[in-house]
Amino acid sequence: MSEPDLIAVRLTDIGKRFPGVIANDQVNVTVRRGTVHAVVGENGAGKSTLMKILYGVQKPDSGTIEVDGQEMSFHSPSDAIAAGIGMVFQHFMLADNLTVLENVVLGAEKLYGSGDRARTRIRELSSAYGFDVDPDRLVEDLGVGDRQRVEILKVLYRGARTIILDEPTAVLVPQEVDELFENLRGLKAEGLTVLFISHKLDEVLAVADDVTVIRRGRTVTTVDPKHTTARQLAELMVGSELPSPSTETSTVTDVVQLSVRDLSLTDPLGGRDLLTDVSFDIHRGEVLGIAGVEGNGQAELVEAIMGMRKATGTVALGDVDISAWSTARRREAGVGYIPEDRHRHGLLLDAPLWENRMLGHQTQEPNRTGPFVDRRGARNDTDRIVAAYDVRTPSIDTTARALSGGNQQKLIVGREMSGNPVLLIAAHPTRGVDVGAQAAIWDHIKTARREGLAVLLISADLDELIGLSDSIQVMLRGRLVGSVDPQTVTPEQLGSAMTGAGVPA
Amino acid sequence: MRRSTKFAAALTAGILSLALTACGGSSDDNGSAKESTGSSGAKSDIKVGLAYDIGGRGDQSFNDMAAAGLDKAKSEFGVKASESEATPDEAESAKEDRLIQLADGGYNPVIAIGFAYSEAVGKVAKQFPDTNFAIVDDTANTDANVTNLVFAEEQGSFLVGAAAALKSKTGDIGFVGGVNVPLINKFEAGYDAGAKAVNPNIKIESAYLTQPPDFTGFNDPGKGKTAAEGQFDGGADVVYHAAGGSGLGVFQAAKAAKGLAIGVDSDQYLTAAPDLQPSILTSMIKHVDVAVYNFIKSFKDGDPLTGTVTFDLKSGGVDYSTSGGQVDDIKSKLDDFKKQIIDGTITVPTTVK
Amino acid sequence: MTFDPRKAGLTLAAPLLAIVFAVLVTSIVLAAAGDPVGTVWQTIFTQPRPRNVVNIINAASVLYLSALAAAVGFRMNLFNIGVDGQYRIAAFAAAYVAGEAWMPGKLNVLFSILVAVVVGALWAGIAGLLKVTRGVSEVISTIMLNSIATALVAYFLRQVAEKGSNNIHTTTIPASSQLAGFKLVGDAPNAIYTLSVLAVLAGIFYWLLLNRTVFGFNLRATGMSESAAVASGVSVKKMVVVSMLISGGVAGLIGMPLLFGDAYNYGLTFQTGLGFAGIAVALLGRNHPVGIALAALLFAFLNEQSNSLQLKAGVSNDIVNIMQGVIVLSVVIAYEVVRRYNNAAEQRRVAAQLAASRQAEEVPA
Repeated sequence: MSEPDLIAVRLTDIGKRFPGVIANDQVNVTVRRGTVHAVVGENGAGKSTLMKILYGVQKPDSGTIEVDGQEMSFHSPSDAIAAGIGMVFQHFMLADNLTVLENVVLGAEKLYGSGDRARTRIRELSSAYGFDVDPDRLVEDLGVGDRQRVEILKVLYRGARTIILDEPTAVLVPQEVDELFENLRGLKAEGLTVLFISHKLDEVLAVADDVTVIRRGRTVTTVDPKHTTARQLAELMVGSELPSPSTETSTVTDVVQLSVRDLSLTDPLGGRDLLTDVSFDIHRGEVLGIAGVEGNGQAELVEAIMGMRKATGTVALGDVDISAWSTARRREAGVGYIPEDRHRHGLLLDAPLWENRMLGHQTQEPNRTGPFVDRRGARNDTDRIVAAYDVRTPSIDTTARALSGGNQQKLIVGREMSGNPVLLIAAHPTRGVDVGAQAAIWDHIKTARREGLAVLLISADLDELIGLSDSIQVMLRGRLVGSVDPQTVTPEQLGSAMTGAGVPA
Repeated sequence: MRRSTKFAAALTAGILSLALTACGGSSDDNGSAKESTGSSGAKSDIKVGLAYDIGGRGDQSFNDMAAAGLDKAKSEFGVKASESEATPDEAESAKEDRLIQLADGGYNPVIAIGFAYSEAVGKVAKQFPDTNFAIVDDTANTDANVTNLVFAEEQGSFLVGAAAALKSKTGDIGFVGGVNVPLINKFEAGYDAGAKAVNPNIKIESAYLTQPPDFTGFNDPGKGKTAAEGQFDGGADVVYHAAGGSGLGVFQAAKAAKGLAIGVDSDQYLTAAPDLQPSILTSMIKHVDVAVYNFIKSFKDGDPLTGTVTFDLKSGGVDYSTSGGQVDDIKSKLDDFKKQIIDGTITVPTTVK
Repeated sequence: MTFDPRKAGLTLAAPLLAIVFAVLVTSIVLAAAGDPVGTVWQTIFTQPRPRNVVNIINAASVLYLSALAAAVGFRMNLFNIGVDGQYRIAAFAAAYVAGEAWMPGKLNVLFSILVAVVVGALWAGIAGLLKVTRGVSEVISTIMLNSIATALVAYFLRQVAEKGSNNIHTTTIPASSQLAGFKLVGDAPNAIYTLSVLAVLAGIFYWLLLNRTVFGFNLRATGMSESAAVASGVSVKKMVVVSMLISGGVAGLIGMPLLFGDAYNYGLTFQTGLGFAGIAVALLGRNHPVGIALAALLFAFLNEQSNSLQLKAGVSNDIVNIMQGVIVLSVVIAYEVVRRYNNAAEQRRVAAQLAASRQAEEVPA
């Protein structure tokens, strides 16, 4: 690091808009050659968009990209590759039934052919960077860490001098993470530049030479990890948020509504542990918030409680063990569900609103009479929801697709609050909705809580979590690692707890 | 919807390619598809209606033999004719409709090629009692105005079976049938009997290309080649095919394996490409052309053939061919068998044991 | 339901434009081949004679059943390509049972239809089970099962057929179980199949099942978004198996009008390929019970009218396959275009209406 600071990549004032969303707005990143440069930020902060712009997958609306001091304009990833930029995606793109050699050469046969010359080149690269990968092994026999090394080899083989790694540790177990960091140091020692995207602050601090923080599509600052703590980094990432939803007097009763014991889940594909011995209770009238950086098992926890995933351990609703119940039966027993991704799990976009009102409740009153759909019942009740929850729509025959995100979400909230639920599972209930709808949804959750509903709340919005919850559990790598008191905790403290930097007392 | 869009594209591509090949085949035949007359001076008021099986004129096989008989009648008697062919997967009513249109249009006689017309002829003949109908390869109908033109395929097959056994050096011969239907089983039965008459210990391998109702086995040289290759690889050195257009593949396999093949229906040595000719030992000739011609002639002469007319060795309706000269050395033996069949000393079975 | 004339007009415009486009493409093909374009269209679009009208209705009823069988699967993104094998094996089984005449007269008909439905359902159910237990794509397995059905039927047909004829078939069903049909078309010598009633009944059943039952809701939900259906509590595995059973059961009906109204036995010449034609008809009819009916009539009309092309115009009737193919392809593209246009238009309209109502609210204040 004593050599003159040559600039490998400089991104200046990058802006990128999608319909209704500003993904990047005046992003500035300067990456020194021969360093590991981390880009951190919450999910949705705009990190991935930025990297896609640098790799030529997307074109920026404004701003400039300089590589080695020269201004570039990338129209496709092949332009980026030609400029010496390679990208390793979070999800590997390898053919299992081919060898390492074949995977690496695939699509780049022009460079060194596909025979011994290519094999020699792969061996050279492998030993130069300490990769220890046998070119003739089948990829299906390799572990996750080795597969990731093959992905990096692919990029190096194509002549990359700057390598972008998108959330490389998301799929790795701790030992593999250490090996990866060894490899990254090896690359750095050979003069290569690594751009490393992550939201795991301890990892970032362990390996990066520079850290750029992005929040809501803008660069906040670039800091030196040697003089920064995880807590400081978390504060930069979370920033100051919207005015908080006010907390009220406790309505928590001593009746346990949901009891989860030793819930464990292993990734059926990779063998990683997604959930480990998760246990908690929610009482009637209680909102339990789960805090955690996304991807630490929250989605799996929700799906396991809903019966959409098979997990070990027990789930009890009141006094009844529902572990073996189907999703439909759990819903009939009064479990409401506001899914994280409403387009994938919450709506039939091409169906009219009244049919969407039935979704998830199609086996219940007022939507059915015997084996038949009760159209009148469903339609009347949809009218009720539209009025009570202020869903802005011309008609209940309008398709869900035509509605704005906030109105879609209000319909879902209204639907899930119907039929007197005893438990509501709300995953990111106000994500992607406008401020007005957000306040309305908060009000509905608070009202239901007052009436004795038990709520499991998952949210990345820390103010929301602190404002609505009666108690908060922190989730990290599939475990509940501690609880915080929402009465006293600040978003900054919570943010650092989520990253494993320690739970405040 | 998007998945179904892709699917529709694939489906349409399939339909189109089928239709285009079919069109390619038929566009050459348009001259004869419409009503046409022989070019000779002879004139006649007779209008012949001819309904082909799938493939129609130009199939290099069964239907072409029928067309040859019609063409001969046209040029000799100056009869007019109208022709139409069946399409794959058509409804039974389409076959009936074809015959009705011909009969209704004043065509008399109406000749149906192939047993697929069996039921249609039965129904339509009753609606048009004044029209003479003939059907090739079927005996199901007994109406007075229906003539059944059938062949003793087993007799001709007996002779080529004997030829195969006489020529085989390995004592192992093969049979490739187009579709596993009773009609083709008859070919196999005769072939087996003929071969065993020469060499009781001979090994005979048998394969059918498709099972009904999949009739593509009559028109798929690729399948014919694969089946014959298997038999040649298994030690056979002579293979007889009763597989219509698929026979080309059998010839190609014979050439590649330096073995011999036996043709069917017509003298296939004459129509084969020069490089395949040396591989063709002989052919079992089934004179559909003679049957069609004779029927038209009898009608013209005012004394139409009636009932079931069997074309056998005796009447020359089936035979073996000698073109290419490869059977010259065994001709006397074959003719001896022929004589014994004709005089009844040998009775050839019609079903495979 | 509110009726939106603009939307309905667009929905109708798509198939009509597709037909016009198909006529154009076919004309170009004909002209390129040097065939008489005018005579061909004259032959196809001439008024069918009573006999042909009956044939068209009969063929359409069979195509309709076939398309319904495919459509049940399509509505949940399940591609049952095996309707062809299912109806053939079901028709064979029913023909055998009917020929054995274990029951008298009309009871024999009902029993045989039941056999056909059960056999068709079970045959399709194999593909459903393979999909949910082993993850085998139903497209692959149903194609394979088509071949297996062909071989099985050929084998059993040889076992049970009366020997002697070249056209082997099952025992002809007794006269008391043969159905005379309806003489509805004036001078036609032939009759509409009695069992074309099955097509009407199946159409009503299909509509009721999909639009009025909870099962139908689950099926459509799975087709629109499998992930949302799962989250709503639908067991997709169960849906796959049950849908395949229903699809195969309807497929079992396809051969029944032919069997009891025309062929009276299952033989080598029993009509084939109806299952594949049904897929095209279902796509053209947008899986809608009325749309499929219109599509089936159109396909039956084209098939029937093309039958005389060789005699009248000297053109192979395969030309109709080109036309049908182009219709299906262009109509599917047109539907997709219309769908996207409608989506965008609806979003704009909703936004505009909401903006207008907001303004109206603000005025008095």
